[in-house]
Amino acid sequence: MRIYHRAKGKVQHIFFPTSFCDRGKMHQLIRCLLLCACMWCNASSFAQQTCHAVLEGFVLDAHDKTALPFAGVYIEELKLSCTCDEKGGYRFTGLCQGTYTLKVVHLNCEPLTQIITVNGNTVHHFYPEHHTEQLRGIEVRDLRNADKLLLPETELSGEKLRQTRGQTLGESLRSIPGVNTLQTGNSIAKPVIHGMHSQRLLILNNGIRQEGQQWGAEHAPEIDPLIADKLKVVKGAGSVRYGSDAMAGVILVEPRALRDSAGVAGEVLMVGASNGRSGTASAFLEGNHKRIKAFSWRVQGTLKKAGSLSAPTYTLANTGLTEYNFSYALGWKKKFYGAEVFYSQFNTKLGILGPSHTGNLSDLQRALQSEVPAETGKFTYQINRPYQHAGHELFTARAWLHDGASGKWLLQYGRQYNLRYEYDKHRPLSDSLAGLNHPELQFELSTHTADLTYEHGFLKHGRGCAGISIITQTNTYEGRALIPNFRNRGIGVFWMEKYPMGDFVAEAGLRYDYRKLEVFRNVRLPGGGNTIEQSLHPFQNFSGNAGLLYRPDSTLQLSLHAGTAWRPPSVNELYSFGLHHGAAAIEYGNDSLGSERTLNGIFALRYAPFPALLLDANAYVHSISNFIYRKPTMQPVLTIRGAFPGFQYTQTNALLRGCDVSAAWNLLPQVQLGAKASWLRATDQHADNWLIMMPSDRYEGNFTYRFKPFAHLHDVYLTASWLYVTRQWRVPLNSDFAEPPAAYHLLNLHMAGFVFLWNRNIELGFSVFNAGNTRYRDYLDRFRYFADAMGRNYTLRMGIPLQTQ
Amino acid sequence: MTSKTKKNILLFLVCSSLAAWNACKKDDDLVALPQPLKNEPEVITTLKLSFTDSANTGNVRVATFRDPDGDGGAAYDIFDTIRLQANKTWFAKIVLLNEAVTPADTMSKEVAAEKNDHLFCFTPSGSSASVSITDRDGNNLPLGLLSTWRTGAAGNGFMRVELKHQVGTKTGACSPGETDIQVNFPVKIQ
Repeated sequence: MRIYHRAKGKVQHIFFPTSFCDRGKMHQLIRCLLLCACMWCNASSFAQQTCHAVLEGFVLDAHDKTALPFAGVYIEELKLSCTCDEKGGYRFTGLCQGTYTLKVVHLNCEPLTQIITVNGNTVHHFYPEHHTEQLRGIEVRDLRNADKLLLPETELSGEKLRQTRGQTLGESLRSIPGVNTLQTGNSIAKPVIHGMHSQRLLILNNGIRQEGQQWGAEHAPEIDPLIADKLKVVKGAGSVRYGSDAMAGVILVEPRALRDSAGVAGEVLMVGASNGRSGTASAFLEGNHKRIKAFSWRVQGTLKKAGSLSAPTYTLANTGLTEYNFSYALGWKKKFYGAEVFYSQFNTKLGILGPSHTGNLSDLQRALQSEVPAETGKFTYQINRPYQHAGHELFTARAWLHDGASGKWLLQYGRQYNLRYEYDKHRPLSDSLAGLNHPELQFELSTHTADLTYEHGFLKHGRGCAGISIITQTNTYEGRALIPNFRNRGIGVFWMEKYPMGDFVAEAGLRYDYRKLEVFRNVRLPGGGNTIEQSLHPFQNFSGNAGLLYRPDSTLQLSLHAGTAWRPPSVNELYSFGLHHGAAAIEYGNDSLGSERTLNGIFALRYAPFPALLLDANAYVHSISNFIYRKPTMQPVLTIRGAFPGFQYTQTNALLRGCDVSAAWNLLPQVQLGAKASWLRATDQHADNWLIMMPSDRYEGNFTYRFKPFAHLHDVYLTASWLYVTRQWRVPLNSDFAEPPAAYHLLNLHMAGFVFLWNRNIELGFSVFNAGNTRYRDYLDRFRYFADAMGRNYTLRMGIPLQTQ
Repeated sequence: MTSKTKKNILLFLVCSSLAAWNACKKDDDLVALPQPLKNEPEVITTLKLSFTDSANTGNVRVATFRDPDGDGGAAYDIFDTIRLQANKTWFAKIVLLNEAVTPADTMSKEVAAEKNDHLFCFTPSGSSASVSITDRDGNNLPLGLLSTWRTGAAGNGFMRVELKHQVGTKTGACSPGETDIQVNFPVKIQ
C-alpha cells in the first residue's frame, strides 16, 4: 500500500512535464502506470490473506502526554474510522497485515498523518500537537517563509477566536494586547494599532487589501469575521511587503485552507445574545473528491439579526442591525502548482443611535448635557432613520507555481466593489423626494488589484520575496457632496531578503510606490449650475525596513526593527467640503497637503524564563513628519442650520511611542494566569501638545481553570477576565465637545468546552460580557457624547461539526 | 453525498461565479460625469422674513439670510439686519426657499404640509420685539410661519429664529427635536 502511494506521488510528478508533450517522459508514465496497477493487484491479493490483526493504542498530547479524549482515527486505505474513548484509547480489529496511512483528527490539534505497518497485533500511540492555549515556550517562527516579516505578530485563532464568535471584526481583535477600537456604538468598530487607524492601517482580506470608504470614523471594515480561521495582527510598519500605507500595521483575515483530503465536512455555528436579543447563524461546508484530489471547494454563509441594545439603565434607541454574508472558494491544488478562486459578499444595515444625529452645535450641546439620551424607547428589531447600509463584494483569483527547489511564483487578482448608503435622521421635506427614500449620502467604490510575487532562495541559507502590485480604483457619489468623485491608480515594486546567521536572522527590504489621484470636483457657479474642476495629484516615494532577530536558545527571542513608510493624503483630507452629519462638524480638506512619512522603531522581546511562564513585550516609536489631522477652526462655521464646529485638515509632526506587554503563567496544570497592559503617549511636536483621540492606558488580568474530561465533556475551561481602562487626560485643551469619560472596570466571563454527542464533538460556549452591568463610556467611542456603553450581555454559542467520510 | 449532488454543487458554484461577476456594478466610467448626477439632497438655502405694518399695509420690510449651499461648506452670502420702526405691531411671514435648484423651490410649503412635525421658535435679546405665533398645526399647537411682532422703544438687539423638526415629539415647546434652521438676526428698532 505504501509503495502504491509513493508510486502515485511519482505519477503526479511526471504528469506535470507531460503537458509539454515530451515523448520520453510519456513512456516513463505508461511504465509507471503499469507498475501501479501491479502494485494494486498485489496489495489486494495480499489483503485476502490474514486479516485478524488488531491495531490499538492511545492518542496523547505531544507535550504532557495526557490523553486526548474523543479524537478521530481514520485509516485512509480502508475508509475505516473510529473515535477514541474518553481516555484517548482507540482500537481497530480485523485488519490485514500491511502498511496503512492513519490520520488522527482532534479539535484542538493539528491533523496528524502517519504510516503504520501492521504485523500481527500492533500497538501504536499517536502524539498530535495539542493546541489549547497552553504554554509551550516560544514557538519557533517559520523563518523559511520569506513572505513573513520579523515584526511582532499576534495571532487570534482556536479557542480565543471562538470566544469572539458573534462579534464584529473590530471587537474580535480587541483581545490582542495593543489593539484598541474606534467605535460608533457597539455595531461599528474599527481596529486601532499604535494609536493609528483608518488609512494608516491595512486590512488584508484573504490576501487582498480591503478597500472601502475607510477614511470615515463611522465606517467599519466590511468583513464577516466568521470567514476567518485566523486573525493575525502585525504591529509596526509592514509597508514594504503590504503597501506603502501600512504605517501602523497590518491585519490579516485568513480563511481556513481548503480541504486537501477526500470527504465533505463543515460546521454549523449558532450564537445567541441577550443584549439586543441577537441571533447569529453561520455555516460552512467544504469538500474534496477522492477521484479528483486536486479539486476542493467550500461554501460559507452568515446571517445575523439584532434589535436595540441596552445600556445598564436604558434602551439605546435604534441600534439594531441585520447582516447577511456568504462566500465560496474553489481550489485546484497540485504538488507544484495550484489555483484558487474566492468570492465573498458582505451586506449590513445598521441603525444609528437617534440622539447622536444632531442638527447643529446647540443641539449637540443639549445632547451632551442630558444625562439620559432624549430618545430611549422600547426594544425593537426595527431599524429606523438614521441608518447605514453597506455592501462589499470581493472576488479574487490566484495561481501559484513552484519552480524547482526554491522559487515560488504567485499571481493574484482582486476585484472589490464597495457600496455605502447613509440615511439622515429625517426624510426630505418634499413628499415626492421623501417617497423615494434615497440615501442622503451614497458612495460606490470599485477597486481592481493585481499582485505578482516571487519567493526565492537567496545565497546559501537566505530567503527573499520580490513583487509588483498594481491598483486602480474609482469612486462616485450621489446625494450630498462630502468627498468628490476620483480615480486612483498606483504601482508598487518591492524586494526583501532574510538571512539567518547563527543565532541571528537579518532582514532588509525596499519598496517604491507611485500613486496618481485624479479628482473630479463639482463646483457651483455663481450664476447657478455646476462645472467640473479636474485636478491631478501624483505622489511617489520609497519605503524601507531593516530588522535583526536574536534567538540564542528556545527561551529567549529579541528583535529590533526599523522602518520608514509613507502615505499620500487621501481624498477626504484633500477635498472634504461640507457637513459631516454624523459627526456634526463641517470639514474642509486642503488640496496642498503633501505625503506623511513615518520613521519607526520596534523592539520586541519574548522570554520564557521557565517553561510555564511566557513574557512578551514590545516597545515602539513612530516619528511622523507631516502627520495629517483635523484642526478645529478658530470660529464655528455659520450656516442656515446654525453654527457648526469647523475642522481644517492640516499637517504637523507627531511622535507616538508606547509599549504593549503580556504575560502568561501556567501556575498549575489546570490553572493559567494572564496579564496584559498597553500604554501610548502621542504628542503634536509643533504645538507641543497631546494628540486628540488616542487610546488611554489599558490593563487586563485573567484567570483560566481547565477542567478534567468528565463523562462526555472534554476541554472545558472557565475564564474570568478583568479589564481596567484609565481616563484619557492627555488631550489638547478645548478641542473636544466633551471631557474624556472616567476610568472604568469591566468583568467578562467565558465558559466553553466540547461534548461528545452523536459521534461528534459539539462545542458549547457561554459568556457574560460586562458581568457587573457597569455603566461606562469609552473615550474612543463616539456615542460616549450621547449615551452609556452596552450593559451586561449573556451569549450562548454552539458549534456542530458536520463530517462524512 | 452522491456524485450527482456534488455535480450540482459544482454547477451552482460555477453559475453563481458568473452571476456574481455580472452583478458587480460598473461605475468606472461615471467618475468624470457632471455631478451631482442625481439624488441631490434637498436643502433650505434662504430664510426670508417679511413684515407688514399693521397700521399701514403699504409699509413692508424684508430681511433675508441666504446660504447658497444650505448647511454645506460654503459661507452665507446675504445676512440682513431686521430694521423695524419702534412701538408698532408687525405681521410677519416666513418664506423658505431652496435656491440651489432652478427654478427655486418654496420649502415653506413643505413645512406647512408637515406642520404637525415643525415649530418655529423666536428668541429675542436686547432691544428687539416680542413675538406671538398666530398660525396653528393640526393639533392646535403653534407653527410660526405667521406671527405678530410688537416692537418697543428704539435700540439694538437680536432675534433668533429657529425651525425645529419634532417628529412625534411636538408639544409646543422649543427644546425637543433637531434644528433645521437657526439664524440669529441682528435687530435695529428705529
